[in-house]
Amino acid sequence: MDILYLLIPFSVVMVLLIVAVFGWAVNAGQLDGFEKEAERILLVEDQGA
Amino acid sequence: MSAPPPGLRAADADAQALAPFTTWPDGAGGVALSQFQVAGMHCAACSGLIEALLNKLPGVEAASVNAASARLALWWRPSQVALADVLAALQAAGYRASPDVAAPARELRRQEKRQALWRLFVAGFLMMQVMMLAAPAYVAEAGELSADLDRLLRWGSWVLTLPVMAFAAGPFFSGAWKQLRSGRLGMDVPVTVGLAVTFVASTGALFDPGGALGHEVYFDSLTMFVALLLLARWFELGARHRAADALEAVAGSLPTTAERLRDDGSSERVPPEVLRAGDRIRVAAGEAFAADGCVLAGQGFVNEALLTGESAPVAKAVGDAVVAGSISLDGSLVVAVQRVGADTTAQGIVRLMQQAQSQRSSAGGVVERVAAGFTAGVLLLALAAGIGWWWIDPSRAVAVAVAVLIVTCPCALTLAAPAAWLTASGALARRGLLLADLSALERLCDVDTVVFDKTGTLSEDRLQLRRHWAAEGVDADALLAMARSLAALSRHPHAQALADGSSGLWTEVRELAGRGVEARDANGLVWRLGAPAWVRANPDPAARLAFGCGDRVLWLDLAEAPRADAAEAVKALRAQGRRVRLLSGDQRAAVARMAAALDIAHWRAGATPESKLAAVREWQAAGERVLMVGDGINDAPVLAAADVRIAMGQGAMLARSAADALLLSNRLMAVPKALTLAVKTRRVLRQNLAWAALYNLACVPLALAGWLPPLAAGIGMACSSLFVVLNAQRLNR
Repeated sequence: MDILYLLIPFSVVMVLLIVAVFGWAVNAGQLDGFEKEAERILLVEDQGA
Repeated sequence: MSAPPPGLRAADADAQALAPFTTWPDGAGGVALSQFQVAGMHCAACSGLIEALLNKLPGVEAASVNAASARLALWWRPSQVALADVLAALQAAGYRASPDVAAPARELRRQEKRQALWRLFVAGFLMMQVMMLAAPAYVAEAGELSADLDRLLRWGSWVLTLPVMAFAAGPFFSGAWKQLRSGRLGMDVPVTVGLAVTFVASTGALFDPGGALGHEVYFDSLTMFVALLLLARWFELGARHRAADALEAVAGSLPTTAERLRDDGSSERVPPEVLRAGDRIRVAAGEAFAADGCVLAGQGFVNEALLTGESAPVAKAVGDAVVAGSISLDGSLVVAVQRVGADTTAQGIVRLMQQAQSQRSSAGGVVERVAAGFTAGVLLLALAAGIGWWWIDPSRAVAVAVAVLIVTCPCALTLAAPAAWLTASGALARRGLLLADLSALERLCDVDTVVFDKTGTLSEDRLQLRRHWAAEGVDADALLAMARSLAALSRHPHAQALADGSSGLWTEVRELAGRGVEARDANGLVWRLGAPAWVRANPDPAARLAFGCGDRVLWLDLAEAPRADAAEAVKALRAQGRRVRLLSGDQRAAVARMAAALDIAHWRAGATPESKLAAVREWQAAGERVLMVGDGINDAPVLAAADVRIAMGQGAMLARSAADALLLSNRLMAVPKALTLAVKTRRVLRQNLAWAALYNLACVPLALAGWLPPLAAGIGMACSSLFVVLNAQRLNR
């Protein structure tokens, strides 16, 4: 059970890392509009930017 | 985003920079009315805070904030205060206001949504992890969990709770700080006190298990509390943004760029905001006009449905006026810009709608007042409970006080009304009925009589000449040609049906509401085109329209078709137990025909605007609650008198400005649906208020007695908020 003393702090650090990655994704606009992403394939390339 | 827009920094705020979002009700130099979009509002109480804050500033006459749509209407004197200072004061209080022209508002909404999503994720995701770390302590048998491991798990929970308190719960803390600083109590204060007390108590227990703060940690219920509150706010944000989107879809008729001509003949594409009076713009076929102005060169047909409601193209030549938002159908026109931004006719319509939106509905106000008094009571109650328990059992005093604070947060109470109103108005907007006044939903519930105008409301706009005839010895065809040329000068649907684009030499043209149009011809004779009884003393009963001068009279009959779903709508209204009436200024025979076709028993023909008004007053005096559906200029007075008014979306401007709601889709079935939805909304609102009250009645005694652990209190509190918001979402179906 001693491994728990390593795993628990490790999992806490992992969780904080995941939160940071999600924060980056939100603020980079990846979750702004899901329809927009789906429709992008229908747009002419220079419009889709 | 933090800096005010360029141009607002100058102490002498110049009218040009203000133009896109400001009007001058008593002329330039007087009081300015500016519209803003406010970001940073997350509860109904914020609107009161902003109003109180702004009203204290010198130079601000009045401020009105609509909590539902996050809009601020500000009456201020540019001579006494710079707009930059007003915005800076708002910013110091933690709100950001941006001028309410569509694009910046959309940007604000996008940022607000991102921020809310991130906060929700931080709280939600960390809540799950904290719960996992908390679970062993709940499920372990005595002695199974070593003291070291238990401490490590608590430490892990504490570390994961820190981002939730420091970041995700930020809106609650800043909201509470704003409320405290302005000396008012909103729902953020008890939430914040609950959060802070719980966090401090748990942290104390972690670092000093034997201390006065007890040995229990509540990190799991703390994070869950924040996550559920943020989830409820996320739903509220979604409802608010949908309402804003629906309004913007209507307002978005202006083009995004305009082609401005330079003096050397070259041209450039510029956004409409930079256009100034005196600029010249070129509008190609298929484009919308970016500003009001007059035609300098070119000719062509223009669709002015936005302004007049007539979808028939209007011919424009050099010197004619064009309005922003109308569409050039063929040919390329060069236009001298006369009015831009907020001064244009189209924006005038939009502003009327927004002003209606900024008037808070009375029900919302009541709920808010209840919440404020309630909060003060709760804080005292929690304090008293803590002190009381200190004498009985000091170790539980903190826990009981915490439970009282968390359990009584008036979140559900303040969410109840706005959530229901907003969801209902969003649902109606999708059916093509746009509410300009949210309180109309309340009045719609009591409606028992629905009065329809005929022409343009129950029937299609388009009419066709069925036959024309005249007395012996009169050349009917020659008169018809004259009638057609006079008809081109009137906007009435009857005249529009006759007009064929030809024009005559008419002078002194006068249009009389409900009667017709009269004008003088080249020989100085006065001709009338309109209601047969007005044109001649004893009219031909078969005629719908007459044209004549003295004894030379042409009788005309126009055919008109009811709208596709008119019969269905009338039937649905009657099935709801409502009286349906037809009130028309038209000929008896035509009205009778329409009434028979639609199976309407109560109808009145040949009504003038005055007698329409009298009829509605008479019904109201008899105790009927009247919903009037109309469209024309002659409906404007009677619309204003009715209890609830709906104007057809293609109707005349005057009718639309008096209306509570606009029927944009022209599908009449939206009317019975709106009535049903209004009743449902009232039911949901009452359910919500009853639930909030019941919940508090049940939980407060339990919390006071100490039988409600903070965990259960947190679950109950957050669930009641979610219940209220989700209950309102039922109106969306």
